[in-house]
Amino acid sequence: MERLGDSKLKHGSETMNKIEDSHSDPAWNQAELLERVDNDQELLRDLLNIFKEDFPLTMRSLESAVAAGDLKNSATLCHTLKGMLSNLGGARAAAAAARLEVVASAGETASLQVALDALKCEAARLLPELEAYMAEVRH
Amino acid sequence: MKILIADDDALSRRLLEKTLERAGYEVTAVENGKQALEQLSKLEGPRLALLDWVMPELDGPGVCRAVRTRSEQTYIYMVLLTSKGTKEETVFGLESGADDYLTKPVNTEELRARLRVGERILLLEDRLVEARENMRFRATHDTLTELLNRGAIMDLLARELNRSHREKKSTTILLGDVDHFKRINDTYGHVVGDEILIEIANRLLGAVRSYDFVGRYGGEEFLVVLNSCDPAFAPARAEAIRKSISKSPIQTAKGSLSLTMSLGALMSSDWGLRSVEELLHEADTALYEAKASGRDCLRIAQPTAKTEPPAALLSQPMRLRL
Repeated sequence: MERLGDSKLKHGSETMNKIEDSHSDPAWNQAELLERVDNDQELLRDLLNIFKEDFPLTMRSLESAVAAGDLKNSATLCHTLKGMLSNLGGARAAAAAARLEVVASAGETASLQVALDALKCEAARLLPELEAYMAEVRH
Repeated sequence: MKILIADDDALSRRLLEKTLERAGYEVTAVENGKQALEQLSKLEGPRLALLDWVMPELDGPGVCRAVRTRSEQTYIYMVLLTSKGTKEETVFGLESGADDYLTKPVNTEELRARLRVGERILLLEDRLVEARENMRFRATHDTLTELLNRGAIMDLLARELNRSHREKKSTTILLGDVDHFKRINDTYGHVVGDEILIEIANRLLGAVRSYDFVGRYGGEEFLVVLNSCDPAFAPARAEAIRKSISKSPIQTAKGSLSLTMSLGALMSSDWGLRSVEELLHEADTALYEAKASGRDCLRIAQPTAKTEPPAALLSQPMRLRL
């Protein structure tokens, strides 16, 4: 079974320094998510399962779009990721997706890869936390 | 209350769906703008909608514009969901026809509060529509019998005559008058007279088909229009209508009273475009003959067909009040 935090998403250390936000902020705001689902554990499991299925697929599509220099598709996919991540309380990763969306929408092809790496870096911080929590709520 | 969620993000869709179900809404969730528009086009479809801004097929503002171009349907209260936050984008969203917008990720309490605003607007619209329908009913129906009033049935008759001429079909006009009604009023009072008129209205309605028209033409006079009625069957149908009045006594506060009705009928498929007033005059003449022949009977007018419409009729558009 594919893990949310697959190694493909874990590289990008060289772009870590480019992330503007302070790393002291948590990658995941668990309290925010629990409040959003009104502490409904069943709904929480549903959301995490949807995320587990959709996030890697969308990320892969985004990587392909960036590699192909497809700005429009990159922006759309980033928009989707941004929504997904912010709904789950992953504010830092959502912000990284938002930055990539801005870059793609502005047509800044040269900055695409850097912004993508930043997103991957944030995702790599978020996903293990979510995965650990998923294991917890399954029981 | 029914609500539509349109969002291409499955996670967001599921979150909203569950949140709104918990708030008591009957939720329909779709994943693109085209499906959203289909749902909002249904006759009994949702009237509250949460629409994501960015969606495949048709985006949120596109759905709003499409919904607002339709004028025939009831109002749909639409809220755009957006991560866009600039004033220009907000104005664009509202100008496209959205009533409100919410920024993602949506705060549950704010979402519920905004939807309650939408519900209040829809409730207000329902009340306005109901008031308008009541006014329309009162303007076209007789207060006592709730039959079409004189103006309304004259308009409908004019429209029906035009249609039957165009489609070369036949229409039958029946003008009925309750026999000795003045005597009933004088003897038993107007309250009993009113009871009788109400019962006669009910009996007339019960004796015609759903697509025929029955109206109160004057005090105790009633006008019945039998649409697409074959002249060969018209006398029998008119007799059945007449007998529906005399078949059994009418129960009133002063006891049961037997009543009858005289009928004047005019039927033809070859009237040409003659005026409503002219045709009713002929039906009235036949009614007068029925009265003169001892009442409780039917007399059929034999009009002279005119094939050329009067110039005045052709030059004036038909006035419809319904």
